[in-house]
Amino acid sequence: MWKLAQAYSTALEEKLKSIVFSMQDFLFFSLRAFRAIGASKRYWRDVLDQAYICGTESLPILLVSALSIGSLIVIEVGHQLAEFGAKTMTGRSVALSVVREISPLVAGLMLAARVGARNSSELGAMQISEQIDALRAFGTDPIAKLVVPRLVASFLMFIPLIALCDIVGLISGAYLAEWDLHLDRGIYWNSVVDILRPMDWFVGFSKPPVFAIGISLISCYTGFSTTGGTAGVGKSTIKGIVYSSAFVLIMNFYLSKVILDFMRS
Amino acid sequence: MIELRHVSLRYGTREILNDISLTIEDKKVKAILGPSGVGKSTIIKLMLGLIKPTSGQVLVDGVDITHFSEVELFPIRQKMGIVFQGNALFDSMTITENMSFFLRENLNLPEAEIEARVKEQMKFAGLEGFENYLPDSLSGGMRKRVAIGRALIFHPKMILFDEPTAGLDPVSSKKILDLIARLQREIGLGAVIVTHILSDVFAVADSVAVLYQGRIIFNDVPQKLYESTHSFITSFLSNQED
Repeated sequence: MWKLAQAYSTALEEKLKSIVFSMQDFLFFSLRAFRAIGASKRYWRDVLDQAYICGTESLPILLVSALSIGSLIVIEVGHQLAEFGAKTMTGRSVALSVVREISPLVAGLMLAARVGARNSSELGAMQISEQIDALRAFGTDPIAKLVVPRLVASFLMFIPLIALCDIVGLISGAYLAEWDLHLDRGIYWNSVVDILRPMDWFVGFSKPPVFAIGISLISCYTGFSTTGGTAGVGKSTIKGIVYSSAFVLIMNFYLSKVILDFMRS
Repeated sequence: MIELRHVSLRYGTREILNDISLTIEDKKVKAILGPSGVGKSTIIKLMLGLIKPTSGQVLVDGVDITHFSEVELFPIRQKMGIVFQGNALFDSMTITENMSFFLRENLNLPEAEIEARVKEQMKFAGLEGFENYLPDSLSGGMRKRVAIGRALIFHPKMILFDEPTAGLDPVSSKKILDLIARLQREIGLGAVIVTHILSDVFAVADSVAVLYQGRIIFNDVPQKLYESTHSFITSFLSNQED
């Protein structure tokens, strides 16, 4: 019994150590990426390629998500409000939910899955096929060449992508409110414009840059730290998606909480 | 000249290399022989500064590079070319782009000079006519020759081969070994060859070091391997001859 407890305690200690080392490693990796940020000028073509991949190629899934966001809020909240004779308030509910919370959150999760998976698997495959070692061996900084363009492209693309999600979410809400609740579009848009203050946009748009940095660094790091052949690429891809999504969920909550508390105080 | 002085390497509690001392002279071909997973490729990565030893020193032309930063290592790495076991070619680039990539990245050469160097390597590796092919559309032997061409593009003094004939058919293996022999004969290039194949050693190496359980247990000319009484070497020799 004592031996079993000792074995568990050693395993736990090893696990904790490995978590701490990974976090330290991730911190150094992130610092190196920020220090190399100037390389984005040199690798502007890679930045454009990555912007196309994480921007244009992500559009279809983001637009589908945005359509469902606006529509679902109308279905769930609009009918509740209609019961109390307050369906004219539907636009307000949709506007605040979409702009401040749901649109950045859902778009963030979609981007974590799409961009995170791509970064982790692509860089993981490069790691196990020694292409990253080859870059270093022939004098190219792999962080400047591979991580910085992904980081900069995400940073540039996430704000317009989430802005587009906001717009599509609000429009889909307007159409569904008219079709399902027989709410005049003019009344819907009036209440949207009425409720949204600059601070609401600020809450919504403070999230994409944070998500961009987090998703890029986490997924690139999991790709770079891939070991163990093709099975390792699979594992690092899963890690890239899971950690990036967890980051999005946690940061979405804390950013809203901190900024809204600050506003209220 | 590359020198490893009392180099040890550990990953956690796992000991990979234990007190390794080796000298690789210019214009000579040194083979590092040993079974798979014994740390042979690690020695090449130590020579390039891709990994740092836990203790000991790595010297290139008398300069201790053990604690050099990536920037400081660049001129050192230019003296050495490396051919990775899996070639490490960039699969989205053509053969020409693979060969010229690092020249464009790191040296401010005129385009005509880059084209001339690529042409020179394509000719040397017998790859003329395949300039616009992607690596995936070539055979294993041809991919290896592209990797050799890429390694030679900086005109290095020494070239490091990680298992150059692993996974190749006998004809392709012979072509690669002939190419390595030509490099030494025609341009006086030194080489380190990491391998587990005994015939490769006898085909091209001037000297051989045998790595076993993280230690060098033999370091001499290949012919003397047969005089060794070490149980691992005798069993290795008899297994390979079978």
